[in-house]
Amino acid sequence: MIHKDLLISNTADEYLKEYTRDGTQLLINQIFQSSLNSSESGIAVTLPDPITAIPREKPIPKPKPLTRWEKFAKAKGIHHRKKDKLIFDKNTGEWVPRWGYKGTNHDGADDWLIPVPDNTDQFANRREVKKQRISKNEARHPLKEELQKTILMSKTSTASNGKFDKVLEGEPKIKGVKRKFEPNVGDTKKEKETNLNILNKLIGKNDSVLNVRKAITKINQ
Amino acid sequence: MLKITPKNARTRRILQKREPKIEENVKTAIFIRGNKTNQIVNEALTDLCSLKKPYSIKFSKKNNIRPFEDETSLEFFCQKNDASLFVIGSHSKKKPNNLVFVRMFDGQVLDMIEVGIEKSIPIKDFKTRKCSIDVKPLFIFNGELFESSQIHKTFKNMLLDVYRGKTVKSIDLKGLEHVISVTAVSNNKIYFRVYIVQMTKSDQKTPRIELEEMGPSYNFVLKRTKFAKEEVYKQATKVPRTLKPKKEKNVNVNEMGDVVGRIHVGKQDLSKLQTRKIKGLKRGTDDDFEKTTQDKKQKI
Repeated sequence: MIHKDLLISNTADEYLKEYTRDGTQLLINQIFQSSLNSSESGIAVTLPDPITAIPREKPIPKPKPLTRWEKFAKAKGIHHRKKDKLIFDKNTGEWVPRWGYKGTNHDGADDWLIPVPDNTDQFANRREVKKQRISKNEARHPLKEELQKTILMSKTSTASNGKFDKVLEGEPKIKGVKRKFEPNVGDTKKEKETNLNILNKLIGKNDSVLNVRKAITKINQ
Repeated sequence: MLKITPKNARTRRILQKREPKIEENVKTAIFIRGNKTNQIVNEALTDLCSLKKPYSIKFSKKNNIRPFEDETSLEFFCQKNDASLFVIGSHSKKKPNNLVFVRMFDGQVLDMIEVGIEKSIPIKDFKTRKCSIDVKPLFIFNGELFESSQIHKTFKNMLLDVYRGKTVKSIDLKGLEHVISVTAVSNNKIYFRVYIVQMTKSDQKTPRIELEEMGPSYNFVLKRTKFAKEEVYKQATKVPRTLKPKKEKNVNVNEMGDVVGRIHVGKQDLSKLQTRKIKGLKRGTDDDFEKTTQDKKQKI
């Protein structure tokens, strides 16, 4: 119990010090009763969990909203499972890679012996079958590159060669398209040939591009 | 409040650090001067700031801040410095040697307590050893008022908030260097003292404690207050679900105080059960079995 009178008097500081000393002694005694771990750096005391509720600085963070894919996966019950790179080979009792070097998806291409039913090259046969399978699978997935090519083509298929088209979001950037010029002084033979080719296309007797009848009517207009 | 959109990676990183976290960082305190101050207040701000180092910012210029009238500038400083504790010092004829302790939550003022300094002795006047920077203090709150009176409770909580530092699971005994002693008896008076702890050997297992005043030393008088709204305070003291201890299943304490738990054991393999050894139960070889059957046939 604190004596109020002593706090008012001149010896208040002394009294406070003594009173606090007693309190601190009790506190230290309490601390020493909990488990002590001595190490090289010193003696550490395990503290109990804090009791006093002290307000936070910022509110508890809200969980981030799910992305469209996450929502869909949740609704459908789709879980992402990572495929193991190694699989167990029952025949040999070893773990082998799923594909690649020493992989298991080679369909016995490494076999040193294949029985021959009718005099054909069984090794070549297997290779051929695999190649066909791969190309068939690839045909199912239109290549990204090809898709970009068609996009590019369609872009330049307007009256103004796509000059005034709006660029859409996520549209592939045109890459590697450069203007190419023939050298000023070069192969005259080749130049002559190309020019003749163009002329032939226009007015050549065989499969000419020019519609003569239409052209004449145009001029007469 | 001002919303900043990061323009480069560095600002994005800084803003990310300031986002609300489940386990929070140590709150930063800003020590700031009001419109007019005197030497007592200035020294008090410096000393209180030095006790809070390194989680403290001291503003050296005067600011036109009146926390009880206008909170906007506090909100601005809070947002700008990512600090949520304030100690504002001022001095006027009406309110001499004034200190205002302010806490913020979510960029808004949570609660405030105004105290006047009646008597003060700065740290530099005590020619003793000082505590090192960033060590956790021991707290001693003397007086029943800290349990009963709302204003005292808030002041206690506020001081704990400012000086408790990081919450830790264990502490080195060497790190217990100083005690902050706060005593309240009556008349709105609060005695704030800081002592250095000296541990000496004693007959008991625990060392004997000797104290030496390190400073600062203040006699405070409680003045105006602004308490937190119950709703907001409840929200501020909410413990995130992840930090709450997990509920233990199937474990209870019975009337006798014993812990009773239910354990699930797998099915017992009865075939390997050791029974009493009787001759008849002995497992014989297959030949024996055939012989006995043949004997039986012959008998028939």
